[in-house]
Amino acid sequence: MKRFLVPAALAAAYVAVPLAFGGNPYVMGLIVAALTIGGIAVAWALLGNLGGMVSFGHAAFFGVGSYTSAVLSMKLGVPPLAGLLLGGLGAAVASIATMPALRLKGPYFALAILAYAHIFQILATEMTGVTGGAGGLLSIPRFPTLLGVDLGSKTGGYIIILTIVVLSAAAYAAIRRSAWGLALKAMHDTEIATRVIGVPSTHLKAAMLALSAFITGVVGAFNAHFINFLEPDYAFSGTWTVLPIAAAIFGGYRTVWGPVIGALTIYLLDQLVFKELMPHGHQFVLGMLLVGMILFSPGGLAPILGRRLEGRVRHAHA
Amino acid sequence: MLTLDGVQVSFGGVSALKGVSMTVAAGETVGLVGPNGAGKTTLFNVISGIVRPTAGNITFRGQSVLKAPEWKRARMGIGRSFQIARPLHHCTVRENLIVAQRFGAGRIDHQRIDEILDLLKLGHKADRDAVSELALTEHKALEVGKALATDPHLLLLDEVLAGLETNGKRAFMEQLALVRDRFNLAMVVIEHDIPTISALCPRVVVLNFGEIIAEGPPAAVFRNPEVVRSYTGEAAA
Repeated sequence: MKRFLVPAALAAAYVAVPLAFGGNPYVMGLIVAALTIGGIAVAWALLGNLGGMVSFGHAAFFGVGSYTSAVLSMKLGVPPLAGLLLGGLGAAVASIATMPALRLKGPYFALAILAYAHIFQILATEMTGVTGGAGGLLSIPRFPTLLGVDLGSKTGGYIIILTIVVLSAAAYAAIRRSAWGLALKAMHDTEIATRVIGVPSTHLKAAMLALSAFITGVVGAFNAHFINFLEPDYAFSGTWTVLPIAAAIFGGYRTVWGPVIGALTIYLLDQLVFKELMPHGHQFVLGMLLVGMILFSPGGLAPILGRRLEGRVRHAHA
Repeated sequence: MLTLDGVQVSFGGVSALKGVSMTVAAGETVGLVGPNGAGKTTLFNVISGIVRPTAGNITFRGQSVLKAPEWKRARMGIGRSFQIARPLHHCTVRENLIVAQRFGAGRIDHQRIDEILDLLKLGHKADRDAVSELALTEHKALEVGKALATDPHLLLLDEVLAGLETNGKRAFMEQLALVRDRFNLAMVVIEHDIPTISALCPRVVVLNFGEIIAEGPPAAVFRNPEVVRSYTGEAAA
């Protein structure tokens, strides 16, 4: 049964969701926003679990990815789909500037990255000739129509962000299973023991930071072409750091799919249920839910779902 | 194979090593002994790159390794164990060796890993958690196994027999001799137990207060009055 779970979930995600909600742009837009947060959450969890670093500044990579792709497509005519990769590359390059912070541990690294996010935001505001300054960029090119699918529509955007999230999670899972993943996880507790067997621990951490920044940058680039508008306060907003962290913790940041499940759960619950019930202050309920999850299941939602699924598999085989 | 030339290490105002010079030939087994605080582990830390010397030079297989970080020295063929075992967390015994082989030797050869596990009598624990499911002897064996998986030319063993009872020590020593012969290794072994070190090492180097005070065949070295005084704490005449 577990063997069919991933193909079934992917089929449902690629076919059933567009069929069910394709006619409802509002709900589809919310799902796209949830997956956007989910993509950053996967990148954040990858950095935390494999790189051993807690980041409070992923908004920096999101913003750099957004602006890189938007500026390249507006000024140089780069196609938006190519802009996704270039946005990711831009964020990965930006992460090089943050690498001196790799020498810092724990909260000091987290705070240093937060400071970098502010620096990038100031740069985007001040480089008026390139970024449009505080006024931002309007009419960023939308995604094209490909094989008869309008990728610029809500459903098209959904297919793109879903693909980004699936590929990111698959890359994360592959690294976790590899010798790289084993070495990275072991490094958190016994870095010197890994170094004396040939593991270049600082290089590996830097690679994870760059990969995490790349994924976040791709998601940022996607968002820029999806909403067709950017301004520094929005692109570098702390929301792009706080919501993914909340999603990853709620869903289970130690698992690969937990951050995505968390993002879909908290964002859709908040927007579709809590906001309806409490138009003002609905985030309060979300906060309480997160606190409850941390207190009663610190591992998050994904391990709970995993245990239930295993229970059903055992029951089915009994 | 390994040459230390006037290696000095200072921690603040304290000299841990005061101009240590020694060589280890290919395939040779050297015992490194001395009272607590003599500088034995510091010497291993310097050779493996964890501590940078304040003066002196270290060459390994004809190349100076002074500027190489510890992970590069491991890839050059310097393997080491720690006095207190440091298994890789969140990994099974086999995964410990896979990581060591992948990064230290640049390949993954499951046949070789199985051979190491069998030689060190860890085969039955291969898929157990390396931190929580091993006995003391097995943790010691895993320390050696991780170093072996990197395809070393030189193995630095830091009190790998410490804490084992007499029979366990003898059995483990036999395993070490097998490993040394099978992989044609040079070994430097830190050990306090004189009969053990005498049986395993044809040559012994004695450190005291960061200086080499004697070296040679164990029988002669352990009769050396200065060596005896260093252990008994008597002042030199």
